[in-house]
Amino acid sequence: MIEIKGLSLQLGEFHLKDINLSIRDGEYFVILGPTGAGKTVLMECLAGLHHIRKGEIWFDRTEVTHLVPEERNVGYVPQDYVIFPFLNVFNNIAFGLKQARSAGSAIPERVNKLADMMGISHILRRDTRSLSGGEKQRVALARALAPSPAILLLDEPLGALDLRTAKYLRLELRRVHRELGLTTIHITHDLMEALEMADRVAVVQNGQVEQVAGPEEMLFYPEGEKVADFIGAPNILDCDYCRDLGQGIKEVGCGGLKLTVPHEGGTIRKVAILPRHIYVSETRPPGLSVNGFQGIVTDIKPVGNMVRIWIDVADNNLMSEIPSYIFEEMSLAVGKEVFLILRMRRIRAYEKQ
Amino acid sequence: MFKILKGAGGERVFKVATISALVLLAVFFIGIIVSMLAYTRWDAFVSALFSEEILFAIRLSVTTATIAAIISILIAVPVAYAISRASFPGKDIVDSLLDLPIVISPIALGAALLVFFNTPLGAGINNHIIKFVFAVPGIVLAQITVISALAIRLLKSTFDSIDPRYEQVARTLGCSKPEAFFRVTLPLARGGLIASGILTWARALGEFGATVTLAGATAFKTETLPTAIFLSLASADVEKAIAVIFVLIIIAIAALLVIRKIIGRRYQI
Repeated sequence: MIEIKGLSLQLGEFHLKDINLSIRDGEYFVILGPTGAGKTVLMECLAGLHHIRKGEIWFDRTEVTHLVPEERNVGYVPQDYVIFPFLNVFNNIAFGLKQARSAGSAIPERVNKLADMMGISHILRRDTRSLSGGEKQRVALARALAPSPAILLLDEPLGALDLRTAKYLRLELRRVHRELGLTTIHITHDLMEALEMADRVAVVQNGQVEQVAGPEEMLFYPEGEKVADFIGAPNILDCDYCRDLGQGIKEVGCGGLKLTVPHEGGTIRKVAILPRHIYVSETRPPGLSVNGFQGIVTDIKPVGNMVRIWIDVADNNLMSEIPSYIFEEMSLAVGKEVFLILRMRRIRAYEKQ
Repeated sequence: MFKILKGAGGERVFKVATISALVLLAVFFIGIIVSMLAYTRWDAFVSALFSEEILFAIRLSVTTATIAAIISILIAVPVAYAISRASFPGKDIVDSLLDLPIVISPIALGAALLVFFNTPLGAGINNHIIKFVFAVPGIVLAQITVISALAIRLLKSTFDSIDPRYEQVARTLGCSKPEAFFRVTLPLARGGLIASGILTWARALGEFGATVTLAGATAFKTETLPTAIFLSLASADVEKAIAVIFVLIIIAIAALLVIRKIIGRRYQI
């Protein structure tokens, strides 16, 4: 169990204000927040990279507030991975083992086992400068795991990757977590990433923890305006019926809207979709449109560099969010008829009532 | 007024102007070397080059410059690291003070050293521990005084360019602060260390002002290569002076080529 009690820190323009968190053993805990919220500083405090004057950090009933990083037994994967460029892949992974002066033969054995687990056995002799982003991420993860840490810290582990690799590695990270059962703290600014991966999520804004909750609770019941604003107030629809179309696809009816939703499992009772995942168009989109509908604009409100548009569709009022520069090229007005598409892969389905 | 410098024409004018400056400077240096070549009588050149006196000067210069460069780098590594990474009150002032030897005339530094060895403390060191004044250790000390600032400056920019996160990651992998420095930062600084070593060595080899003031210019005793040029010119032996100048030029070119070869790109100062 990791406990952070009343942690405050001022570091240049970054500051943490009275952080209190407790993270359970074996939990996959995601810290979610916008850029500059202080997420990285908080993680660096856990790794022992900052001198803490106010507050306490406890790992398993041992206070570690003033312990140096090498005494904390944490695995740390920083942003951009920070792979040692003067060592090849094997020696990067073996770095911590050599430091711990593990027995000679134990090192290759452990490195090979981790490389196997990460699917990088074929690149062990490679120069690290020629690695792709995804490969670097795996090397950094294997390097952090090699000395068998008690806690794994991942700072935006998927942020530097292209979308496809990131998506694949999300599953990989969860699999590694399942296999090792290691308490993992993962930082991200991506809500979907947090919802998909976390056992629990903490939303951090301006150096403060705004809410700690399970992903569903976070999505459906954001606490306070700041969290709701950041999460983006999803459209939540109750389902009247749910029909299995086979191959992991279900059809649900929500107040007159017939939606196609990818979902493995039982009957869907509720679906949620974020405003930014509803596309609005003035003309009928060409081709076959899954989850495409027609509606009437009921309200328009600019928020920062985005514009929120409320649309009546069947018996529902949905909110869409589009960038201002796109809005300006359209001629939307209240009362006007529009076409909208709810992105199928972005709809989240829930079985609980 | 700058109307003709606008558009594509302006671009051409600018390009011609900058490249002309480069060509002029190159012509100037090549002209100097060619004029020396034209002036030289080769038989006299060869006999001067292999004279006892010049061979002694080469040996003395290479030995003292090597010792001075090693000591300077050993001092400069921790100093440059401290300035690059640590923050302490008065850091800016210390940082500027360390630049003084680069901008002050070497002869002034030599004179200052000479004055120091006339104080009771300096005289005590000179008379009872190591004799610096008008002696070979004086050459090394004069060189160190002049080149250590350069070594610090070069190494500081090397350490500045190394992301501190490498050390942080090493720490989380079990390294103590010194271990992280030796296992991660030093290997990352390898290119910069070699370049700084060679550049400070080459600079030490050419040092004259401070050396001659502190160690004097006695043939077969404290006569380094630059001192040999000075002594040759003073006795109107131009062939000998030219021979030594070529030795210095060849060493300098070799040093720069080695740096390029090792680092694989142009070093940055």
